[in-house]
Amino acid sequence: MKRIRIANLPLMVALTIAGLFVLFPLGSATEFSFRTPVSGGHGLANYVWFFTAPDFGHYLWISFILAVSAAGILLVLLVPTAVWLNLGGHKVRPFVEFITLLPLVIPVVALAIGAQTSLPDFAQTNEFVLAFMYAVLALPYAYRTLDTGLKAVPLRTITEAARGLGAGWFRTIVQVVTPVIRSTVLASLFMTLALSLGEFTLTSLLHWDTFTTWVTTMSQSNILGAIALSVFSLVAVFVLLLGIGAFVRPVSNQAAAEED
Amino acid sequence: MTTTEVKLLNRKGAPKWGTLMGQLLAIALGVGPLLIFMGIFFFAPLAAVLVKSLQDNYGAFSFENYAAALKEPFLTGFRMSISLAAISAITSAIPGAVFAYLIESRGSVRIRQFVTSISGVLANTGGVPLAFMFIAALGAEGSATGLLKALGLDLYSNGFNLFSFGGLILVYSYFQIPLMVIVFSPAVHGIRKEWQEAARNLGANRLRFWRFIGFPLLFPSFVSSLLLLFASAFSAYATARAMTTGEIALVPILIGNLVDGNVIFDQYNLGKALAVGMVIVSALAMIPYLIIQRRAERWQR
Repeated sequence: MKRIRIANLPLMVALTIAGLFVLFPLGSATEFSFRTPVSGGHGLANYVWFFTAPDFGHYLWISFILAVSAAGILLVLLVPTAVWLNLGGHKVRPFVEFITLLPLVIPVVALAIGAQTSLPDFAQTNEFVLAFMYAVLALPYAYRTLDTGLKAVPLRTITEAARGLGAGWFRTIVQVVTPVIRSTVLASLFMTLALSLGEFTLTSLLHWDTFTTWVTTMSQSNILGAIALSVFSLVAVFVLLLGIGAFVRPVSNQAAAEED
Repeated sequence: MTTTEVKLLNRKGAPKWGTLMGQLLAIALGVGPLLIFMGIFFFAPLAAVLVKSLQDNYGAFSFENYAAALKEPFLTGFRMSISLAAISAITSAIPGAVFAYLIESRGSVRIRQFVTSISGVLANTGGVPLAFMFIAALGAEGSATGLLKALGLDLYSNGFNLFSFGGLILVYSYFQIPLMVIVFSPAVHGIRKEWQEAARNLGANRLRFWRFIGFPLLFPSFVSSLLLLFASAFSAYATARAMTTGEIALVPILIGNLVDGNVIFDQYNLGKALAVGMVIVSALAMIPYLIIQRRAERWQR
């Protein structure tokens, strides 16, 4: 018994340090965000301030619409492609894996400058173009997640069964394959949502205003309010992303069980 | 039309030309939409940057943007960005690797899963909220600063400054260390217990195991993770911009200033030449990363 405890000591120390590293700044910022400098104590004033700010709902809504659209675009594009690649596109597979990684390699700043030059005017004057650009940025993560999910299911059997029973390809993908890999689809959906909601670089360099750029603008007039907003959005994204973990767990549990 | 059907045809001895056409059609239908999408929103913008970076203000071919990009203040910008990324990569990779090793070698399945999902979340933080969080915690008036002061450690009188090079590295480590844990853990996980036991049985002590087996196996993965962390810090824009308000002249910030019109330069396309420079530096880091990662996957899992 004693031996096991000694062996676990480094682990405990590591976990404690990691916990402090993560929670100390977050906790301090949370404390800071509740400060009310005028009356000197703590209160909800900063949170009330941004919730009642005239543009809060407006920009949150824009960001939300863009994020949902980006996730939708990616899923419509990637689910059929990933299914096709997992069924038999072996020759082009390494190529697709390579090009879907590229958005990770290229600095977003470079992409933003390029988009400013290459996109036609009608696209530049429509904020909706951001949804497509967000989709590009989320592509490496979304593709990898979907690919892993598809590898874990007997895809060929499922599709052949559906096709054998008379379903067309569209129906097979929408009504058979997607429900089977729904946890992976949801995971890539949430990941795209989180990434899009927090995107700043492209948005600000293309001179659009979304929730994140609005936070930056607001920080110039009320830093405490901006900090409260930041804590709010960090915690919101944490919850959103940990939600992914809950959805993906069934698959990873299985994998872990097989491993051990 | 899938390749399965095509292969069946092939086995039955269908004409080769038809098979080839069928395969091409299948490929076009399979990856066409993705290629078109990436073509419009990814490859075209990058091509535009490259082409425009080689044009002067009147659209004639010229290297003048690159000539200007290789002068001050941009040369210092590149030097700053590269050293910031390198220091951030090294200072985050080492604790990240040690932590990944401890978790993978000693943690239960549950702890490992927990750490992986938390790391996934933290590696995705960044940007403006992260910067404001650290300002609230460790800025001159921050609550952590106040707490440490009450405990007898006065950060700011000891030369600490959050809005400096070192401060930026500290803030980056908040997403860089978790990123390291994510990319390095699979490599540590690949070192099987059996190998340690086999080495033990053959008479190797711990040191010899690490000297001849563990270290040589992990080193390539460590280097490739280091490169990924470098690229991640090198291209980070939002955090640096919100923290330093342009005081630390990193390349992405210099580009941002040009794009926003905060700084006017004679050459209209100078920002594009700087962007190409950033792409080159990132590619130099990421291409070896991809190659090493692919080789390492052979023995992992």
